[in-house]
Amino acid sequence: MQNLAPPASLWRPSGATKIELLASATVALVCVGLIVYPLFFLLAESINVGDPQTFPPKDIGIDNFIDLSLDLTVLLNTAYVAIAATAMAIAAGFVLAWMLTRTNVPGKALLERLLEIPFYLTPLVGALAWSILAAPKSGFLNQLLVTVVGVSDLLDIYTPFGIAWVMALFEGTVAFVMISAVMKSMDPSLEESSRVTGAGKLRTLFKITLPLVLPGLLGAIVFVFAEMLGSFAAALVLGLPGRFFVVTTAIWQYTLSYPPEYGKASALGLALFGVMFATLSFYRWMVRRGTFATISGKAFQPRSIDMGRARYGLAAICWLYVFVAVILPIAALLLTSCLRFATVIVDQMSFTLQNYETALTLDAVRSALTNSLELGIGVATVGVFVMAVLVWIIYRSRLPGRGAVEYVVMFPQSVPRMVFGLALLTAWLNIPIPLYGTLWVLAIAYFTVLMPLGVRTLSGVVLQIDKSLEECAQVCGATWAYRMRTITVPLLRPGLVAAWLLIFIASVREIGVSIYLMGPNSKVIAPAIVSSWSSAGTELTAAMAMIQTAAVLLAVLLLLSLTAKYFKGA
Amino acid sequence: MSANLQPMIAVSDLVVSYGNYVAVKGISFDVRQGEHITLLGPSGCGKTTTLRSIAGLERPTRGSILLDGKPVFSADQRINVPVEKRGISMVFQSYAIWPHMTVFDNVAYGLRVRGLPQKEIEAKASQALDLVQLRHAADRPASKLSGGQQQRVALGRAIAFSPSIILFDEPLSNLDAKLRASMRIELKELQHRLGISSVYVTHDQEEALAISDRVIVMNDGKIEQIGTPDEIYSRPTNGFVADFVGSANILPGTIVGPASHHELTVFQLNTGERLNTRASTNSSGAATTVAVRTALIDIRRGFGHRDDRNALEGQVLRRLFHGDFVEYFVNCQGHRVTVRRPPTDIISEGEEVTLLFSPEHAVLLER
Repeated sequence: MQNLAPPASLWRPSGATKIELLASATVALVCVGLIVYPLFFLLAESINVGDPQTFPPKDIGIDNFIDLSLDLTVLLNTAYVAIAATAMAIAAGFVLAWMLTRTNVPGKALLERLLEIPFYLTPLVGALAWSILAAPKSGFLNQLLVTVVGVSDLLDIYTPFGIAWVMALFEGTVAFVMISAVMKSMDPSLEESSRVTGAGKLRTLFKITLPLVLPGLLGAIVFVFAEMLGSFAAALVLGLPGRFFVVTTAIWQYTLSYPPEYGKASALGLALFGVMFATLSFYRWMVRRGTFATISGKAFQPRSIDMGRARYGLAAICWLYVFVAVILPIAALLLTSCLRFATVIVDQMSFTLQNYETALTLDAVRSALTNSLELGIGVATVGVFVMAVLVWIIYRSRLPGRGAVEYVVMFPQSVPRMVFGLALLTAWLNIPIPLYGTLWVLAIAYFTVLMPLGVRTLSGVVLQIDKSLEECAQVCGATWAYRMRTITVPLLRPGLVAAWLLIFIASVREIGVSIYLMGPNSKVIAPAIVSSWSSAGTELTAAMAMIQTAAVLLAVLLLLSLTAKYFKGA
Repeated sequence: MSANLQPMIAVSDLVVSYGNYVAVKGISFDVRQGEHITLLGPSGCGKTTTLRSIAGLERPTRGSILLDGKPVFSADQRINVPVEKRGISMVFQSYAIWPHMTVFDNVAYGLRVRGLPQKEIEAKASQALDLVQLRHAADRPASKLSGGQQQRVALGRAIAFSPSIILFDEPLSNLDAKLRASMRIELKELQHRLGISSVYVTHDQEEALAISDRVIVMNDGKIEQIGTPDEIYSRPTNGFVADFVGSANILPGTIVGPASHHELTVFQLNTGERLNTRASTNSSGAATTVAVRTALIDIRRGFGHRDDRNALEGQVLRRLFHGDFVEYFVNCQGHRVTVRRPPTDIISEGEEVTLLFSPEHAVLLER
């Protein structure tokens, strides 16, 4: 006789067990909490008009915000620097993207890789390098100009334009990447059909190409502008000596004063966040509206225009950019780090490895280095797994509220990094758990602010993997664990490694959050470079910057070789 | 009753909905032992959802699914056996070839999952590779294969662990026309040899007719007709089936009543001509339509041809030469009738013609 009633355990609501649901809900809630909790403190602190050290605030008001509106100089400074940097970054990005996607410039693949390096160098290292190159009098370029041309003090990087220049070079890389993507995703047949209907090259350019690229280009402008508003390191290194403040450095200054003016800093931070959020929302709205034009999700083989001999000229322009943004800064840092006294006058040079020895033995510097590496490895390792779970929740599960989880998890990218640092500072200072001043608080902070990066990278990989690859294994009879081991994890491995490396890189170069949260016993490299720059010598700082850059570039190289292999295999 | 009369797959009152959208609206059908059944319909008709429900990849809202007599899904009894425990096999539209494995590893996967001894795995996987003619490529990485070869790997993997049921989700839709035609023959051969019951999903009516024992025509989440390919083609029960399967002229009119000749019904077109049709209804006076296959109409030059067949007179408006056949668009008193003939004795555009078709081929439709 057959028992028709089946065991109840075979019934699975919406394909997941209750434990799976509970576990994923917990992970989602914790991650959301990590983001929302500090932002709440930022808000509370900004309306605190009483004693800035008490929490929760006793006196509440909007005085902090009123004070801000009077400080017009800072706002004008910020506007000037952000607009100038955006203009330079977009102009360079557009020209480079056009040359590398639409013309037959020789050596495209190598150039494309090299043009991404400034981003990994970081604005901090870029600012140091350029101040070595173009500081008035002592700058290498100025020294050269005096001896060769006889003009003195032609260049001065310690100016608003200098700050914008460094920001454009080292933070503007994103403009090139975004505009390239737009140009690559355009169907060449759209232009070809214009030519076939009888329109000339010029008419096609103005009537077809530009209107199609325009939404993407505008999007890039808005996005880069938002980035520049939140940029911190270049203005810190190059603006502070001349007491030139932008919003981000003004916030930093408020928190340094004694007693720290957290209220004002929070209000200013909140205001900056508001502007940046509005700008980024505008960007997203534009991207959604502009999708009709170019983004078909397909990558096309763009038709290259044959530039004839002129292509060597174009290549020279690309290489000039690489020279200014990559070769010159690295060379300047490398040279300085190996000298007793920074100079470009050959007969005055005295080479030494003393600076590296100091960097690796001096307690403060060495501990900052090891802390940064430990944090990078730890956050990347733990982060990749937690973020993988988040990605699974957002894109593959049917958990209710997964859309909201996605929104919150991606939220830190619309908050200026150093404003988030301030929020984390007040939040972790006011929590009864004694985490402040330890590496743990830095680890938690890194994880929080790097969540968007990790989730975006991993989701890109997860979405690329056809669902039927897992379903097929299931149909073949494989259990969940067997599927994970034989199909899912092996397919995800390149993506997991890439995400690990990206999180590692971002951790090692982190400054906006670290500068607030590091304590005397938990120093990390980027803020240590800043303080060494203002207190110790240029040569030691250059050595430290070189060590950080080497660690980052090593990870970048690994990443590149990995992606190259991955794409060849796929 | 003997065991092999019990259906291998029994789907009853299956409903699948996503929120407010109902993809499958209560369908029932059986698949007999060794039978090859095809779910045919336009995209979005619910055929793939039905197939995935049988596999266990979708969770239906209502109804039940029995495999070999055992319930794998039943809303009433709260049964939903997980995919991996159903013991069926499936070929995916995208092939779902695992790019990080060799051809052999792909094919052997189901055998390894079942924990068979190494010897047996090799024997059975090799046998499957022989069947799909890929023995020579066993050690190649699976990502380096052509579309047709990937299709074979997917097929080899699906049959390697000797399942009693295979589900096919539009397996040939990504191949070019020539390859598709030759794979059809191979599939039919394979089926014949292995005697596996299968459900095949496609939107290609030619494919459905060519390789199935029975065809289920679906539209908008419901079943329009179930029958052998011949039944579906020559005796469609409604306008949707007549139009979707093959190519047919659908002529509107009213039923007049039984003809003098037994088993025939007289049908009057809206333009007045009367046709003898094969009866499937007795309700005279009802407005309905008649379907006539474009390939089953004879065409003669000039007027006045008369035999015991139905005759319509008209003029050739356009002629399209397709190679294997010639397509004529004929105007018969305002009805535009399409006729397909072999490419011999070609009639010119503008010529007056008589169209002849037997009552057998004028099919009265239900709606």
